[in-house]
Order: sequence, then C-alpha cells, then structure tokens
Amino acid sequence: MPILAVVGLLAAVPLITSSNVTLNFMVMALLIALVGQGWNLLGGFGGQYSFGHAAFFGTGAYVTAILQMRYGVNAWLGFVIGVAAGALFGAITGLLSFRSGLKGSYFALITLAFAEVLRIVASVTPITGAGVGTLVILDLRPEAFQFQSRAPFYWIILALVGVSLVLTRMIEHSRFGAYLVAVRENEDAARALGVDATMIKLGAMTVSAAMTAAGGCFYTQYFLFIDANIAYGPWISIEALLAPIIGGIGTVFGPLLGALLVKTLGELAKLVTGGAPGLDLVIYGGVLVAVVAFAPRGMAGIFVDLRRLLRKAQERGDG
Amino acid sequence: MSRRPSAVSRRRFLQSTALGAAAAAGVLHAPAVLRAQGPAIKVGVLHPVSGALSYSGQQGRMGAQLAIDEINAAGGIKSMSGAKIEAVLGDAQSTPDGGNAEVEKMNGAGVAAIVGGYASGICLAASQTAARYDLPYIVDVGVVDSIVSRGLKNTFRFGPGFGVIAKTAIDSLVTINEQASKAAKTLMIVHEDSAFGSGLAKLLNTQLPERGFQVLETIPHPTPTRDFNNVVLKIKAQNPDLVIPANYYNEYVLLARTMQQQKVRPKGIYSVLGGAASSYKFVKEFPEAAQFIMDCNHWFDPKNPKALALKKQIEAKGEFYTYEVYMNYSCVLLLADAIERAASADRAKIIAALESSTFAGHVMPYGPTKFVNGQNQGAAPANTQVIGNDIQVIFPAAFASAKPVFPMPPV
Repeated sequence: MPILAVVGLLAAVPLITSSNVTLNFMVMALLIALVGQGWNLLGGFGGQYSFGHAAFFGTGAYVTAILQMRYGVNAWLGFVIGVAAGALFGAITGLLSFRSGLKGSYFALITLAFAEVLRIVASVTPITGAGVGTLVILDLRPEAFQFQSRAPFYWIILALVGVSLVLTRMIEHSRFGAYLVAVRENEDAARALGVDATMIKLGAMTVSAAMTAAGGCFYTQYFLFIDANIAYGPWISIEALLAPIIGGIGTVFGPLLGALLVKTLGELAKLVTGGAPGLDLVIYGGVLVAVVAFAPRGMAGIFVDLRRLLRKAQERGDG
Repeated sequence: MSRRPSAVSRRRFLQSTALGAAAAAGVLHAPAVLRAQGPAIKVGVLHPVSGALSYSGQQGRMGAQLAIDEINAAGGIKSMSGAKIEAVLGDAQSTPDGGNAEVEKMNGAGVAAIVGGYASGICLAASQTAARYDLPYIVDVGVVDSIVSRGLKNTFRFGPGFGVIAKTAIDSLVTINEQASKAAKTLMIVHEDSAFGSGLAKLLNTQLPERGFQVLETIPHPTPTRDFNNVVLKIKAQNPDLVIPANYYNEYVLLARTMQQQKVRPKGIYSVLGGAASSYKFVKEFPEAAQFIMDCNHWFDPKNPKALALKKQIEAKGEFYTYEVYMNYSCVLLLADAIERAASADRAKIIAALESSTFAGHVMPYGPTKFVNGQNQGAAPANTQVIGNDIQVIFPAAFASAKPVFPMPPV
C-alpha cells in the first residue's frame, strides 16, 4: 500500500512541473534508485556486499545498444533481452563466486574484478565500439523507445522503480526472503537448518542483476551514448551502493530515499556554490560523511529511531 | 539558507560592477555602446570545469568568456541594436550525463545556442540533447568523427576531426622521417582509453603499417592515470624508434616526465593530439621533459595579429595560451557572427546562419569557415615542436617558424 501511494505521488510530478531540468533530475534520481534497489536486494537483504554492480549495469546497457545498432533489433525487445542478459550474467558470476565459497570482502573484490575486467574488455573489443563507445541513433519515435518529451521517460523509470519496490516487498515477505535474511545473519546456522544457502544467494544475485541491468538498458535509451567508462566504470557501482546505504540498507524504501537525498544534496550544493567549480562536490562529500557518521542505519533508520523515541516519550507520559 | 540573499546580492554587485567596467571600457573605445540596447542574448558556455578534465575545461571557459567580453565591449550584436551576449556557464563535471544535465538547464534558461563540450563523450551527449530542442551547438574541440556524422542539424564543429588530424599527422611524420633519411622504423603508441585516444590509436594502427612503420605495441590507459612507471618500463624493453602518445594534459606530462626520469630517450616523441606536447604550461614547468617533443595538434595561426594579441592578453593574466583558449575564443566569435547575420536569437535562424557561414575573423589557420554537414571544411591541425623554451610550428610550410629537429640530439 505505501508503495502505491509513493509511486502515485511521484507519478504526478510531470503534471505539476513542465521543467525538463526537474524531470531530468528526477529521472537520474530514479535511475539510481532502481540500480540501488538491485544492490540492496543482494547486499541489504542477502548480506553479500558487491562493489561491482557496474558489471550488470553495463551488460544491460551494451546489450540493448549493440542489438539495436548492429542487428537492428527493436529497442523495446532489446530492453527485454538486455535485462535477461544482465540476469544471466548475474547467475553466472554468482555461480562462480558462491560455489567457490567466496564471502564478505572476497566476494566484494571478485565483483569489483568482474566489473573492471569487463570495462577493459569493452574498451578494446570492436563490438562495443572499443574506446569510441556505442552511439544509438536519435530517432524520436515511441516505437524506438525514444520520446520527444522527458515525461514518458520519467514514467517508464518510475514504473520500473515501482516494479522493483513491489518485487522487493514480495521477496521480503516470502519464504525466499526469510531464507535470504537467515543467510545474511548466520550462513552456517541457516545451512544447519536445511537452507540451501548457495541457491538462495544465487537467486538473489540473479534478481539483483536483472534490476541493475534494467537501469543500464534505460540509461542507453535515455542518453543514447555509452562507452566503457560509463557502462562498466566504478561510478555506477558506487552510486548503486551509496543510495541504499544512505537511505537504509535492507529496507524496501531505502534505495529510493537514499537516491533522492543524495541527488538533491548534489543539486543543492551546486546551487549554493554557484560558479566555483568543484566546490559543490566538496560540500556533497562532507555532508555524506556526516550522514554516514550520524545515521549509520540510513534515513530509514532515523525514522525508526524517531518512532521509538516518540513511543518512549508517550510511555513515560502515561507512566 | 538565511544567508542566501546576501550572497546573491554580492554576486549581483560584482556582476554589475564588472558590467560597469566593461561599459566604461566600451565608452572609451566605442561611444556607440550608449545607444539603446536590445535585451541580452543568452549563450550557453559548457565545459568540464571540475573532475578529471578540469584544467582544460577552465581554459576553455576562459577563452569563451574573453570573446564574449570583447564582443560586448565592442558594442554587442549590432544588428540587434547592440544587444549584449550573456554567458550561461555550465559545468559538465567531466562526464557525459553531467553535460546532458547542463544542456537541460541551459535550455530551461532560454539560451540561443551552446558552445563547448571539450571531450568527445561530452560533446556527443550534449549535442544530442541540444538537438531535441533544435538548439544550435558549436563543438569546441571534441574530435571523434561521429559527432558530425550523425546527421544532427544543430551540431557544428569548428575544429578538425580525427580523420583529418590522423591523415595530417601521418603525412607530416612520413615527410619528417624521409628528411632524416628514414631514421625511424619502429614505434609504440600510448593512448588514453576513451573515445578520443582509442579512436585515434585505431586509425594510426591501420594507417602507419601501410606507410612503412612497424607498430611494436599499443598501450591503452584510463584517464586519470597517476603512474606511468610500468608503461615506461615496457617502452624501455621494446626500445622503439618513436613513441606516439595520445592522451590528455595530466597523463601526457606524467608520461613525459617518467620517460625522462627513467632515461628512456627514443629517437623522437611524436604525439598526435598530445594533451601537453604543444602546451606552454608544460614547456615552462618541465622544459627538459618537453624538449624536442613533436606534436600534431590544434594550433593558432602564428601570422594572425589577432591571435598574437590574444596570446599577450592571456599571458598578461598569468595564464597559459593553450588550444582550449583560442578554439573556444574562435567558436564564440563564429557564433556571434552568425547571430549578427541572423539578426535574431531565434534558434532556427542561427542554425541557418551557421550553415552559410564564411566567417574568417577567427584566430585559427583554417581560412574562411565553410560547414558541410556540420564540419568546418578548412579545419586542420598544425605540427609543432618544442625547441628551446618555445613552441615552434614545423608544418605546414606556410606557417612554419622552424625546421624539425629529428632525430633528437643526445643529451
């Protein structure tokens, strides 16, 4: 229910403002929310911290772009195949790393390595356009997944975020979700109780990769240009984990909250500093440090704390 | 937040004093400025002034602003009753999506056209976004050829693209080598791995072997890279006659200095669009590392008095006269000329005026401007070499101020 309310509220944004600056900003924030939700499912619920979600983002982005430009595949179909390719790649990397029993920092490092290897491969192989990147031709038709106005893009990314929220909520309340949390809290104990930890983690990784790949596919359609550093660069891996960590790790709304906050912060810093180049990034960094220092469980954690404080105050009042 | 209004008013105060000073200067030179003025024409000035490319971005912004100040001081756009040009500054933060977001903002602010971009990736994304709004976009540097081959009607590139640059570079290299009785046979390419460096390396890799050179190895590296020891060790091991670097400023300087430290001294360093090879900053700060480096790059017309006056003006400010400065300076003048002829800030009219431009008042050795599918046909690079404490033009012969020194003399 809260998901419906939040998505409904956000869906009204293009009706209130016709400013493309605002819409562009919201699209970027929602894109980060989607990618962050992917990370959150694996990292927040499953406890498997990935430093290389760029691997899935980039796979989705490149698959859509290459299918369109080299094989003339319809953009919408390319989108679906891109998501599937991301999921498949997630399953393969998951299989490789979980079967070898990689955990904690080792898992984080292997994901980082996957992303870096892909970045380097993409910057030299001809099919990705090597370092020159791949350019999707501007073709402003809805059939080609390109729109004159920013609003349809906004609704599409919002819908994707909505689906990711519902999916996460469903997983949270399902048996699969319970297993996943059990694996996060104590993998050995979960195994002892008969949970197939490897399969559970693999499942989470596949869904997580699919969500992140959807973000990548969307990026391609929105910007129509990707190169190895955009697709597989560390920036997206960092954004993917920053949003849920700031928003509230392992919560359904954490990534959305975090993405909106982080992006708003970035824009505000730019407004305040005006023309001084780079100063906004300094402020942005400073505030991030403060948030992490004072709200280690993210924004969602602050809400929980506040509620508890209120309840305590009430009890005291009653007493 | 309560401090915001005072901050704004301070900035306004500075702006108005600056305008006042400009107006006063204008009065001294041209009393015509006192005529009734049309409303200001907003022009987007987009550069990566923060992030990995910030130095180049800031240089570019400086060049564009100088041109705008000059136009305004000389009475603004005369066909629009002396309307001033107002810069809407944007920071692309060295990323394509940063550039895209700034174009959205500029469009929201109602700019008549945008100048800049600098890096190829930023130019590709930003000009495409501008195309959605039929907003004229003048690419200042971005050399990837797909920038103008996409069929975007709004995008114009004043400078040369890869194809032309690589061809000129190879032709000159062959000539220089023949003059030195073919001293160089083997070479290595060190390039940055984004659109610009890789695209160039690809072209060089296919064309150099056809011209009798053997490419021993091609080494890509990301931007930023902060350590070139391994790259230089590889060069040392292969011992090529020539090293061809293609990268941005910081990496270029680091590579050249690491080669100097490790005493790697090939017969020549011949760069193509070397970020620092024809930069006065590099020559001044590291004269030994820069000595005898040759480059094929954007270069001003050394016989153009306007170009030399601009050089003096920049150096008087304690800044360096880099290609970002004079290319952006020229691009803004080109745009102002188009607005002047269009006599309107209407986007479609400016695009039409750019298409038919024959502008020759720039400081580059390009001759009169002529756009075909958005590419300036006269645009070409020049060959330079660091000799002593100065940068000399060695090719084309029409502009040359020195003969090439090749192979490099021993230390």
